[in-house]
Amino acid sequence: MTRRRLPEWFVLLLPAIVVIAAVVLIPLIFSLYSSFTPYKLTRPSTLWRWVGTYNYEKILTDAKFWAAFGRTVLFLTVVLNLELLLGLGIALLMNRVTWGQRTLRTILMFPMMFSPILVGFQFKFIFNDNIGLVNNVLQSLGSDAALPWLVDGRLAMFSIMFAEIWMSTSVFAILILAGLFAMPRDPLEAAKVDGCTPWQTFRHITLPFLMPFIYIAMTIRSLDVARAYDIVQIMTGGGPARRTELLWTLMSRTGYVDARMGLANAMGYVSILLSILFTIYFFRKLSAARAEIGMAG
Amino acid sequence: MRKQYIAGALLAGTALAGSAIASDWGSFDGVTVEAKLIGGQQYEALYGRIAEWEAATGATVDIISKKSHFEIDKEIKSDMAAGTTDWCVGSNHSSFAPQYEGLYIDLNGMVPEDTIAEFVPGNIKASTVDGALLMLPRAQFDVSVLYYLKSNYEDADKAAAFKAEYGYDLAVPETWEQVRDQAIFFADPPNFYGTQYAGKDEAIVGRFYEMVVAEGGSYLDEEKKPVFNSEAGQRALQWFVDLYAAKAVPAGTTSYVWDDLGQGFASGTVALNLDWPGWAGFFNDPESSKAAGNVGVAIQPMGSVTRTGWSGHHGFSVTSDCPNKEAAVSLVTFLTSEDSQLAESAGGSLPTRTAVWKANVEAAQNGDDPYRAEALAAFAAGAEYAFAVPPIPEWGETTNIVFPELQAAIVGDKTVQQALDDAAEAVDELMRESGYY
Repeated sequence: MTRRRLPEWFVLLLPAIVVIAAVVLIPLIFSLYSSFTPYKLTRPSTLWRWVGTYNYEKILTDAKFWAAFGRTVLFLTVVLNLELLLGLGIALLMNRVTWGQRTLRTILMFPMMFSPILVGFQFKFIFNDNIGLVNNVLQSLGSDAALPWLVDGRLAMFSIMFAEIWMSTSVFAILILAGLFAMPRDPLEAAKVDGCTPWQTFRHITLPFLMPFIYIAMTIRSLDVARAYDIVQIMTGGGPARRTELLWTLMSRTGYVDARMGLANAMGYVSILLSILFTIYFFRKLSAARAEIGMAG
Repeated sequence: MRKQYIAGALLAGTALAGSAIASDWGSFDGVTVEAKLIGGQQYEALYGRIAEWEAATGATVDIISKKSHFEIDKEIKSDMAAGTTDWCVGSNHSSFAPQYEGLYIDLNGMVPEDTIAEFVPGNIKASTVDGALLMLPRAQFDVSVLYYLKSNYEDADKAAAFKAEYGYDLAVPETWEQVRDQAIFFADPPNFYGTQYAGKDEAIVGRFYEMVVAEGGSYLDEEKKPVFNSEAGQRALQWFVDLYAAKAVPAGTTSYVWDDLGQGFASGTVALNLDWPGWAGFFNDPESSKAAGNVGVAIQPMGSVTRTGWSGHHGFSVTSDCPNKEAAVSLVTFLTSEDSQLAESAGGSLPTRTAVWKANVEAAQNGDDPYRAEALAAFAAGAEYAFAVPPIPEWGETTNIVFPELQAAIVGDKTVQQALDDAAEAVDELMRESGYY
């Protein structure tokens, strides 16, 4: 009698399959399942009550959810674009530095080394309306206004965007700088010989070369920013009056404070669409940009 | 001197009487009781006494978590989801207690009736959900009282100016309407504010809730239907809105919770402050407060019908999955015993036992600290108006729905009526989903 043996490739992959199943697949299936139940953390029995698409219907008709969704898209768009512009500017300037560039590169990365929670606390203090740094500076310059930085809708969004940009612009700068280092010199020299202006050189040679790097940075940061939570939670908690409510502050409150994990998971699945859409968009753009500089394939 | 001696003898006598019973904590050799307790410097004196219980019973207490109630609440929810609830003793809070379905046992029958009768009846009532006594109340059945800067009432020019403007004498406010007038009168933003209030989370909803009650309204009706958008509710919210619009409160007040408020009053830049008894010592301590020496404490003001009195209290509970419930009950009883409360309330917290209240008030009256006597008298008078939040699991969730709407009215995004109607509609949906009607 011969024993049936599992194929070798399967046995070799088994540890990886088990690990991935345990840490990714099972939680994923579990959370997807629970999004079809009224699962409350404090009432474990609710996990076994199937309510079909009730949670999804509730979300789709919930103005507060869509307001948070829209705000997240706005936050994402503004933050990504500003980070790109600033990062590009910093990278171009850094590229011209000939002495001490390594030290500068290290200093540039300092903000990324802080925990986002601490960055949140730091800016919460800086923008505090009563004892904050910004208002104190304004008052010592003669203004008697106590600007409600974290209360006024626009100012509060500005404040959290400022904190987010402060912390992560260097991601763009570093990736774009890597692109600048990898750039061949010949086209630039040819452009010089042909009499291109610096702007023309930048627009038609440097920028197309950098685009693949920019889109990679965009993809990474879009996923990062779309799940912005820590800074926002610390600085405003999504308030006041939901003026700075983003998807993740809403979801965490629903899941962990209200204990409505089923509903929170459903929100998670709907909002994942946002990340998927952004990722697909940037990957397409990435392929197009690579094709343009002859790197397609 | 003589008075102090008498007070000391009284305290010692009570302590002696307490320790005579102390031999009765039972014998639990080799048992380990795992506990999740509220953390904070002010509780360490109580936890220091656990060694006594361990020596008396032969059991060991293993404190597996020490955090604030908000943090413990999240931890408990994770425990319930994961099914890891076989620890034994948990710190509990009257606002959180009703939501933990089946987590804690009914202490009626486990704790002798005589012992239960020694607690302030209101505390026992607020610790009971659906007939089950879920915790033995430990301390801080606290009602917020009015702290104020005394100097504002000792200035003849201010008094005259106030009378000219408002037509009545400037005195420590008796009603919330007077608080509004005076707060607007005292305010000089951004350097000095008339008052302040908690502006987010459960904190602002609790404040709003007590104002609704003080105005003669209710938060939920008998059926648990939201009725806080009544006229009383609108009057209550209008108070918050008026103060914000008049800049009598700091602009950032909508993001303040307890710590910010306490620090704010201690900075000496706020005239009137409704706050918890636990701050009394802090406010009058020159090390921590610029207002020290200038702080008065009065009973909380009235709305148009009654005084405010939102109260919550801490307690200790025993889990249903605890392997040795007798030992756990013994520990909980020990932690809330007369001895423990005398020791704890010496640090400023409010007791839950009738006898300890009496001893504290007498000691303060006989002592040489008029501020402490004034504060205790205000707390005792204020506690008579105490009422807890509706004992339903959904209380916390309703507050998450309601607070952004209150904020919307305060910062002017919505009218008072519109904000309350929107909040009531969403709470109504929640109550319907929860099966109340």
